[in-house]
Amino acid sequence: MTEFLVEATGVTKHFPLTQSLTETLSRQERRSIHAVDGVSLTIGRGESLGLIGESGSGKTTLGWLIARLFEPTSGTIRFEGRDISHLTGRELRSWRRKVQVVFQDPVGSLDPRMRVWQIVGEPILAQEKATKSEIRARVGEILPSVGLPTGSLDLYPHEFSGGGRQRLALARALILRPKLIVLDEPTSALDVAVQAQVLNRLVALQEEFGFSYLLITHNVAAVRYVADRVAVMYLGKLAEVGPVRQVLEHPLHPYTKALLAALPVPEVRRRGARYRVSGEVPTLISPPPGCRFAGRCPFVIDRCRTEEPLLRVLLNLPDQWVACHRVEEIGMIPPNELIAEAPVLPERPSTMPATPSPEG
Amino acid sequence: MTEPVLQVERLSVDYEVGAGTFHAVQDVSFELHPGRVLGIVGETGCGKSTLAHAIPRLLQEPPARIRSGSVRFRGVDLLKLPRWQLPRVRGTGIGMVFQEPINSLNPAYRIYDQVAEAIRIRRLRESGQAPGLVSPQEPFDYSKPKMPNVGEVLLKPLVPSKGPASRRPMLSKDAQDLRATVLEYLKLVRINDPDTILNLYPHELSGGMRQRVMIAIALSGRPSLLIADEPTSALDITIQAQVLTLMKELMTQIRTSILFISHDLGVIAEMADDVGVMYAGHLVELGPVDQVYRDPRHPYTKGLLRSAPSKYKTEGPLPSLPGSVPNLSRLPRGCPFHPRCVLAHADCTQDPGPKLTKAVEAAGPEHLAACYYSKEVPGIP
Repeated sequence: MTEFLVEATGVTKHFPLTQSLTETLSRQERRSIHAVDGVSLTIGRGESLGLIGESGSGKTTLGWLIARLFEPTSGTIRFEGRDISHLTGRELRSWRRKVQVVFQDPVGSLDPRMRVWQIVGEPILAQEKATKSEIRARVGEILPSVGLPTGSLDLYPHEFSGGGRQRLALARALILRPKLIVLDEPTSALDVAVQAQVLNRLVALQEEFGFSYLLITHNVAAVRYVADRVAVMYLGKLAEVGPVRQVLEHPLHPYTKALLAALPVPEVRRRGARYRVSGEVPTLISPPPGCRFAGRCPFVIDRCRTEEPLLRVLLNLPDQWVACHRVEEIGMIPPNELIAEAPVLPERPSTMPATPSPEG
Repeated sequence: MTEPVLQVERLSVDYEVGAGTFHAVQDVSFELHPGRVLGIVGETGCGKSTLAHAIPRLLQEPPARIRSGSVRFRGVDLLKLPRWQLPRVRGTGIGMVFQEPINSLNPAYRIYDQVAEAIRIRRLRESGQAPGLVSPQEPFDYSKPKMPNVGEVLLKPLVPSKGPASRRPMLSKDAQDLRATVLEYLKLVRINDPDTILNLYPHELSGGMRQRVMIAIALSGRPSLLIADEPTSALDITIQAQVLTLMKELMTQIRTSILFISHDLGVIAEMADDVGVMYAGHLVELGPVDQVYRDPRHPYTKGLLRSAPSKYKTEGPLPSLPGSVPNLSRLPRGCPFHPRCVLAHADCTQDPGPKLTKAVEAAGPEHLAACYYSKEVPGIP
């Protein structure tokens, strides 16, 4: 039962919009932003799950739900088998030591008027009683493991470079030895060369301490290196979940294919016409029924606009989950063969049962 | 060889602030030829944006100070022009697209007004009613360097002569024509439903749309040089791909020269013909993009290319450059990269540092690197 560290089932988070007076008086239904809409996923012990998606896909909201910085509108989140979705007060506070978050902006998340030992040691004070010398000792122990010198206890955050600040944030997350660390865009503020250092450190730390990661990012390269499994999110829903190598090398969902094909690669030979999806990410306010990607998908059929595809596995790929009606036909087309215009595929009647792809 | 559109020679830019003097651009020289795209790539703080802003002289001076060098745009040294003449070069001579389109568009004006302004200015300049540098008439035939006399155009008096034409009020026919041209440019950048977009304000558009509007504005001046400073860095991946594809298509249509600044090696690979790599204010390598990427001849370029993460964790640690970018106010002596370089010898620490020199004996275009040991770079693991 407690095989998974985190088990989220049908998690939904809606943010209600403010209503105008006329809307309130005319008793209109309150509209809301469907940031996360019925997402189910699991994170195993010691596993890293990468969550990729573009801005507005709800990936950060999902991460914050799992860290219980938001309370879900519906659905349950189980942590080590215990439902934490509606914990409050002292229970919530004592549970928090098991989950720590590293935020995107290392400048904004570090108080400029606090010294390193105060910043990194603050979670200790939130959880237990400790004297100043105890805190300093514990902070001094943790700093080398993120690659910062022990002697930097009395420095201020501005004395560090971008990579150094991100390490500080990481040290703060590590100090309570949590079970899960939610990394929200840990590398997007960093340059390529520094990124590699931070990613190496993340993997080394996981080997040392054995915690799980939820890596939220739009940076596919970071996910490739850190994650064991990857979940692709689009407009509040999961499009595809699977082992990292499988998803990144053989994406099944049309959106995943588009996302991967859109990555600029530092190789000149990749120039030229490539698969592009047209249009932009639509709004999350009162989304239409059916597949969320239907408006931009080159393979859209009528069924996609009415019936929502559910995450399902293909017979030949037991670990890879994908939410697409037509995956059997289009799943095996490699992304680089999909050029701008969608190839003409025969439409099959929507009543036909799904069959495994013959290519697999 | 045709005459270069832009010729930057030994340009140095400093920032003088309380904490000291920051040498943001040091001794940078390059040429940009008609119809070519030169990419400048480097990490944060390497001076690439300062360079982009120094060329049309958009830097705030002070704190910035252009210490030395020359920036010859179509033969005129922009650094020697008096300040009041600079606006005449911008827009129709040098167009710009910046990183954050929301900061470049005026929030108080509708999209129509902002695109129309650029077109109106270009037309006034082309018809000689307003002083300003315009590009040679289309089609751009750079093989015949029959450009208007640049010096003469720039030296026109500030107030245009009060001929009957210059004071003519806008007729409804002109307004209609202008509207049609605005629509044309919005269609050019693939904006769906331009009739609606015209009447919207910038905040009502998405990031990708705003950047398209910025590109439309920049192109509507028909500049001979377009400076794009991280034009897609604020956009999502699929939107970035759309905008890059659009820019590539437009490049073939309008044949303007582009200086493309980015921190993303992948974006540069996609867009540029030539690439310049900057490190700590210095241009350390310059050459055709495929040659530089395939066979880098500066240890920094090699390190940068190698550190682009493309591995799974089961394949071992990512290669990374040790150390960090030096503080621009306290640059090391000699080659700025020597403290992090595996090839560093005693002579690398001596001033003056290495200059850009031919790195590869090749028949094709020049491949330059600022390294004494560039021959040993391919041997770095």
